Amino acid sequence: MALNLNSSNVATRENRIGSITGYIGTLGDLAKQSECGTLKGCSRCFSQSSTCLSSCALAQLSAIRDVAIIHHGPAGCSVASANAYYLDKVMAKKRGVTNNTVYVGTDMNERDTIFGSTETLRKIILEVNKRYTPKAIFVTSSCATGIIGEDIDSVVDDVREEIDVPIAAVHCEGFKSRIWATGFDISDHAVLSSIVQPPKQKRNTINFKNFYESARPEIIEIFKNFDLEPIFLYCNSTVEELSHISESLATTCICGTLGNYLGNGLEEKYGVPYIRTINPLGIAGFETWLREIGRVTDRSEAVEKYIAEQREIYIPQIEEIKKELKGLKAVLGMGPGYTFEVSRVLNELGIEVVWALAWHYDKKYENGDVPPSMEYLLKHDVDFEASVADQQNYEVMNILNKYQPDLYLSRHPGSTVWAIKNGTPAVYVADEYMIFGYKHTLEFAQSILDSIHNRSFEKNLARRVKLPYTDWWYEQNVDKFLEEAKK
Amino acid sequence: MAYKIAVASSDGIEVNEAFGNAARFLIFTVNNETIEPPEERICTVGDESDISSVCKDNTCRGNGSRCNNYTGNAIKVEQIADCRCVVCQKIGFQVQKQLERKAISFFDVSCTVEEALSKIIKYYSRIDKHESLRK
Amino acid sequence: MAKLLDKQRYKCALGAMQTVQAITRAIPILHSGPGCAQKLSDSIGSSGYFSPNIFPCTSINEKDVVFGGAKKLETTIENALKVIDADLYVVLTGCIPEIVGDDTAEVVSHFKDSEKPVIYASTAGFKGNNFKGHEQVIDAVIEQYLEKSDEKEKGLVNIWADVPYQDLFWLGNLRELEKLVAELGLTPNTIFGYERGIENINRIPKAQFNLLVSPWVSVGNMKKMEQKLGIPYLHYPTLPIGAFETSRFLREVGKFAGVDEEKIESIINKHEDYYYYLIERYADMFLETRVMAKQFSVVADAQYALGITKFLVNDLGLVPAKQFITDDTPKAFQKQIREEFENLNYGLKAEVSFETDSYKIHNEIQSHDYHGYPLILGGYYEKEITEKMFGHFLNISWPVQDKVVLDDAYIGYTGGIRLIEDIYSVAVQRWN
Repeated sequence: MALNLNSSNVATRENRIGSITGYIGTLGDLAKQSECGTLKGCSRCFSQSSTCLSSCALAQLSAIRDVAIIHHGPAGCSVASANAYYLDKVMAKKRGVTNNTVYVGTDMNERDTIFGSTETLRKIILEVNKRYTPKAIFVTSSCATGIIGEDIDSVVDDVREEIDVPIAAVHCEGFKSRIWATGFDISDHAVLSSIVQPPKQKRNTINFKNFYESARPEIIEIFKNFDLEPIFLYCNSTVEELSHISESLATTCICGTLGNYLGNGLEEKYGVPYIRTINPLGIAGFETWLREIGRVTDRSEAVEKYIAEQREIYIPQIEEIKKELKGLKAVLGMGPGYTFEVSRVLNELGIEVVWALAWHYDKKYENGDVPPSMEYLLKHDVDFEASVADQQNYEVMNILNKYQPDLYLSRHPGSTVWAIKNGTPAVYVADEYMIFGYKHTLEFAQSILDSIHNRSFEKNLARRVKLPYTDWWYEQNVDKFLEEAKK
Repeated sequence: MAYKIAVASSDGIEVNEAFGNAARFLIFTVNNETIEPPEERICTVGDESDISSVCKDNTCRGNGSRCNNYTGNAIKVEQIADCRCVVCQKIGFQVQKQLERKAISFFDVSCTVEEALSKIIKYYSRIDKHESLRK
Repeated sequence: MAKLLDKQRYKCALGAMQTVQAITRAIPILHSGPGCAQKLSDSIGSSGYFSPNIFPCTSINEKDVVFGGAKKLETTIENALKVIDADLYVVLTGCIPEIVGDDTAEVVSHFKDSEKPVIYASTAGFKGNNFKGHEQVIDAVIEQYLEKSDEKEKGLVNIWADVPYQDLFWLGNLRELEKLVAELGLTPNTIFGYERGIENINRIPKAQFNLLVSPWVSVGNMKKMEQKLGIPYLHYPTLPIGAFETSRFLREVGKFAGVDEEKIESIINKHEDYYYYLIERYADMFLETRVMAKQFSVVADAQYALGITKFLVNDLGLVPAKQFITDDTPKAFQKQIREEFENLNYGLKAEVSFETDSYKIHNEIQSHDYHGYPLILGGYYEKEITEKMFGHFLNISWPVQDKVVLDDAYIGYTGGIRLIEDIYSVAVQRWN
């Protein structure tokens, strides 16, 4: 579908690409229904807390160097600014650059919810611009400002003349979508509509959308083999860099959920090809991804040469460690960008996935295709129980209790501790590059082994703690609270 | 600005039908917050052959439900494409998706038609004017 | 009115979910958007028996905005009671239901006869910050759960302090206050942390008095308890850090409780003897360091700004530069707090600024002449500017990224020693 870059609003992910946050069944089922477009969303009559889309959107934007985020709302909405400050400082320090991005709130109070505060917001924007002379300004809304009808678009239009850097209104009313990953789209939309400029010249660069660029040095080295230069987005990006991403040879992403809006947007608007393969995790993922980059940038020969060299180094080592992993059973819970990708890698390593939870599931990407990670699993006849639950911890606990797997893999803060309280070893797939390429696939396999070889920590803890769920709940089916929306 | 609201109601009093089951919609036109008498729009849903062409091998099972009138619903969505929102008792996710692609909102509620209309009109009226939803 | 909140140091009223979380086996039920709990939590001891990602939440969406979310709240409470094994369920409202007018009180009233208590507190983000939300939760307990008791337990003292989780040292500090009070021969009662909970809440009405150790937080709660439960209170505004203030604290609390003066003095002597044994051994280090100026600034909520200032002046003989209070202290308390800063040894007075805009705070720090390398105790935001000034930085207030605290405390004689250890652990890393 066409992206409308003239509006400051992104239609929510549920609406635009048909995501769901409630489903229980098998993977095959999920995929087949997805293909013929029959999947019904389910709403819950009981839910535990999850994530706000503004957290995703503003974590992305605030990672850009030397910009200003003005979060119009009560102090709780802008509380993420504290962590953003910390991250900006430590990430810049690691890279050896400086980042003076500011993220401020407006500390909206009751009076403001009655009388409105657009005039104050206007003054705050001008003051922030004067204090810090940021390279771009993002003015963002919250639930409260949405509900009281604050017209942030008008305020932004109004001050645009007085400010000589890009300024955009970013709509972050949390109640508008239960799919927090919409926040990623919202941030991409803001960047595409306010910062990215039409291409002037082509460059041998690849836009690389990621979170915290931990594998930056090694990816730069890999790409040198193909005379390509990666531009990592948005952590430590500069506004100047972003203005030129339309000039790249292609866009790729470490996680489809994170990057598909930007990738499709750049392709649609500026003809920059978007690499839509499975993610570069595990052996098959890395090779498929690299070959596609080779094909798109016309560097297939160099890519094949690199793959052959690397296989020789790593494949024997990976084969060796697989012997030890064989027969292990795993449950995993991650965002959809990772759940099915990691399932594939586990399958590659000989670990059986007994249940996979995706926190939400994009039935189709922006271009209308079924997610490639899913397509791959089906093609290779890998099937297992799957559910889509927006970080519903009570469901995870129920599943772990029933299946008693050898290990639980998660990618969301605060979730692993629940597995170990259940006595299940947990591997926190924290870094997006933890399973990247041959080298990290090997490291990943090793850390799984390390996690299950010493189970002291989880056993010690599990023995001493009581779990907070009632016996009644453990006796219920996992789908107890899924009310299927009929027809 | 005038806009239309589609309501799935068999008796004109209660919102009592699921989107997929509704044989007709009452289309209310709202003009400056006044509601004009509804137009009745009979739905002509697709027949069986449409459905089988979509799922030939009958594979679309999951949670015990079939993808029965997918095509029918798509036609229905077309038929109310001029509305700003749809009000019905229940609404499937695929229908929601199709509606939203056309920028049509949906409210799945069980209440009287009158209550639904008054609440939705109040909401839109305030949102359009950038007014607070505070009671 | 809205204002520029630059480098914010507090959360919104819904942050009071952490106050509930600090009561063992009490769980917040959020009538809010799906992401509020995650936003308002930090990884500082959050994965307890309950953690933010298991807080039941109505996850309000657009339909709830138009048609109201009362029904959803009702099923959420109903199922929370079934699924989650807790002793107390506290419904907390976020921004949306309070603006669109969901009647939370009415929904919660349906659970009057449930097996476990269900109460609610109005904690919409725009109602104030998490200090205010903390008070709202305690008010809810007083108003909706506690009943006046005719039976009193002699020597029982309810102890109240600042906001759990917002205060990094909340757990250790409370335990230290309990120990001090117990040494006076009294029976301390607190509701937060390990082995405290509903039983302790049940005991509140039987107390002889309430002891509040905070410059301003919870003063309203004390008044409410005095009124409803007939419990008098002692308000001790200064966090007692180190020997000077802790001895004063023991004398004042002892006097209020009618403890024999001689007994109090013997307790004080015992502690001070050990305290000065330690100080004596390390005095050369304090005196002979080349890297620390005599002047310091604290950037923190009122309790640490005041408590640490008094400690560094009255115990260690440092001199206060300007101090900054960042908790949005209500105007009504500011004069009283300012007076405390003017009541230091040798007639010293500390200038204090109530300021939530950190840009201004940083400008003032950078333009002040500390006559050497300054000591700055503050939030993580002060790290970078202190480094620019070649000063010494200690992260003692929210946000905290530079320190991990499980049950450490800065309160009491021991707490003073801990703070000295932390300050000089930073200082010794440099020669000059």
